[in-house]
Amino acid sequence: MMDLINKSNNLVITDKELAGKNNEKEEYLAHLASIVECSDDAIISKSLDGIIKSWNKGSEKMFGYNAEEVIGKHISLIIPIEYINEETKILERIRNNEIIDHYETARNKKNGKQFYVSITVSPLKDSAGCIIGASNITRDITSRKNSEAELIHANKELAFQNKEKEKRAEELIIANKELAFQNEEKEKRAEELIIANKELAFQNEEKEKRAEELTIANKELAFQNEEKEKRAEELIIANKELAFQNEEKEKRAEELIIANKELAFQNEEKEKRAEELIIANEELAFQNEEKEKRASELVIANEDLKMAEEQLKTANEELESFSYSVSHDLRAPLRAINGYTQMFKEKYETQLDVEADRLMNNILKNAKRMGELIDDLLTFSRIGRRELVKVDVRMNELVTGLCSELKNELGDRTIDFHISPLPPAQADNIAIKQVWVNLLSNAVKYSSIKETAIIEIGSEIKDNEIIYYIKDNGAGFDMRYADKLFGVFQRLHSNEEFEGTGVGLALVHRIISKHGGRVWGEGKVNEGATFYFTLNK
Amino acid sequence: MNHDVDILLVEDNASDAEMTILALKKSNLANKLLHVKDGAAALDFIFAEGEFTGRKIEDKPRVILLDLKMPKVNGIEVLQKIRTDERTKRIPVVVLTSSKEDPDIHKCYELGVNSYVVKPVEFDEFQKAISNLGLYWMIVNQPPQ
Repeated sequence: MMDLINKSNNLVITDKELAGKNNEKEEYLAHLASIVECSDDAIISKSLDGIIKSWNKGSEKMFGYNAEEVIGKHISLIIPIEYINEETKILERIRNNEIIDHYETARNKKNGKQFYVSITVSPLKDSAGCIIGASNITRDITSRKNSEAELIHANKELAFQNKEKEKRAEELIIANKELAFQNEEKEKRAEELIIANKELAFQNEEKEKRAEELTIANKELAFQNEEKEKRAEELIIANKELAFQNEEKEKRAEELIIANKELAFQNEEKEKRAEELIIANEELAFQNEEKEKRASELVIANEDLKMAEEQLKTANEELESFSYSVSHDLRAPLRAINGYTQMFKEKYETQLDVEADRLMNNILKNAKRMGELIDDLLTFSRIGRRELVKVDVRMNELVTGLCSELKNELGDRTIDFHISPLPPAQADNIAIKQVWVNLLSNAVKYSSIKETAIIEIGSEIKDNEIIYYIKDNGAGFDMRYADKLFGVFQRLHSNEEFEGTGVGLALVHRIISKHGGRVWGEGKVNEGATFYFTLNK
Repeated sequence: MNHDVDILLVEDNASDAEMTILALKKSNLANKLLHVKDGAAALDFIFAEGEFTGRKIEDKPRVILLDLKMPKVNGIEVLQKIRTDERTKRIPVVVLTSSKEDPDIHKCYELGVNSYVVKPVEFDEFQKAISNLGLYWMIVNQPPQ
């Protein structure tokens, strides 16, 4: 382009030199006009006040205005508003006979589109050498500008990506030995990219050189521009390729980071487990020691227990024979008291007053009660001595049978029996029947204070045992004395309130204990009681 | 048959004996009753020994009312002796005891007791039981010839 400008400057000088030779001058002017007309550059001449004087084909092509549309109009027509000041300065410099060479600025097309141009403005002189206007040679440099911008952007992008990559490489070096190898790979690749960058820088330099070379010739320029565009496109493709490769590398880096985290997590887990195992081992060692201690303690305790067991057995045997013979031998004097009192009454009936009769009756009543106590004690003793014969007891049939028997004996009392289906249990049929009889008759007895007695019978299966329960809405009891429920001859109600000997629940306790089960009661005064016992399935 | 003794009562407890006798008297069954106070005396009578020497063994009582718990010789031993002797083994023996819990009840039946009666504590019932017993063995039951 420089050459071209120089040429045109030379043309102006030559114009001066050839002022006298008219023919040659006309021929030369026609030639010159033809060059101007045919130039791809926009060649515009304007007066010093900015009025457009000439407008070649190149201008029409570049700006979209026909010569007729613009000649005589002010040059600001094609200057974007923000560049108007420049034009004033340029015209100022022209007046000072300066040449504005390759000034890069922007212009407007007829369609309003702004584009980048390089303008060379030279003063136009008349034959007297006075400056009368200016010639503008305007070249569209939009594609070059764009290419430059893209290249700058691409380079910045590459520089940024390189920095990122280095950062990541450093992070990865720190992260893991496993990654070291791959980091090296990445460094290599980074080096390759640096080489590629250098290559690009070199190519840029080459391009700049070529750009300079392109200014040498017009035709050459067009060709070389095309070449440059092609190469720019190739570079864009290459950049895209690089960008793609970068992305791939980033993806791989991310995958590696995830893999690292996973490995780190697994290591932590393993360490945790190892720690847990150590703790568990210590715990086991401690437990073993404890167990050994306990075992030796148990050996001692077992010996003690054996002795105690033997003593207990002896004591039990003694107690049983004692309670048997006591109850047995008590009956004879009791019978005597009864008999003689009765005999006395019969013999002296006529001589007894009312008080004497009452006293005699009290003797008989007490003797009778003592007889009952003895009978219950005997039953209690018998059950204790009895060997259990465990069979599958059909609890449902047993209880419903007992309930309907009870109903027949109720007289005018109303009792609502609610019996849920009861599962069978392994137990001694006779003994368990006794348990239900005692519990049922208790429920019936203690609920007699209610107009409508409700007796609920049910069960619950828990693990390997069955919990049976019988609930009434009767007199209940005070939970503070619950521990006395199952003692022999222990009662929570007086004989006047409810008759009884205090053996029924003791018997229940004894039978259930012999079965290996548990028995307990819950109650609230005047609200009722619930008795539970357990048996194995 | 003409017996000196229809009922032999073997009872160490004086009260029980008195009440038993009273009960039998009320039913007019105590006319020919002999009361001995222990097993030894019972055996002496049955086998005509000791103070009963000279008595004829063949003059058997119609029923022996036998208590089990007695000093010296107890009821089981008496029963055993009676049952193992050809001359006496057919004599009806009724065991009277205080308790149905008596562990000897089984043994009594094995030895061939004719009846096993628990003496009720209540006097009315006691009287009824003894009276029924007397009536049965003295009047209803046909003894072996």
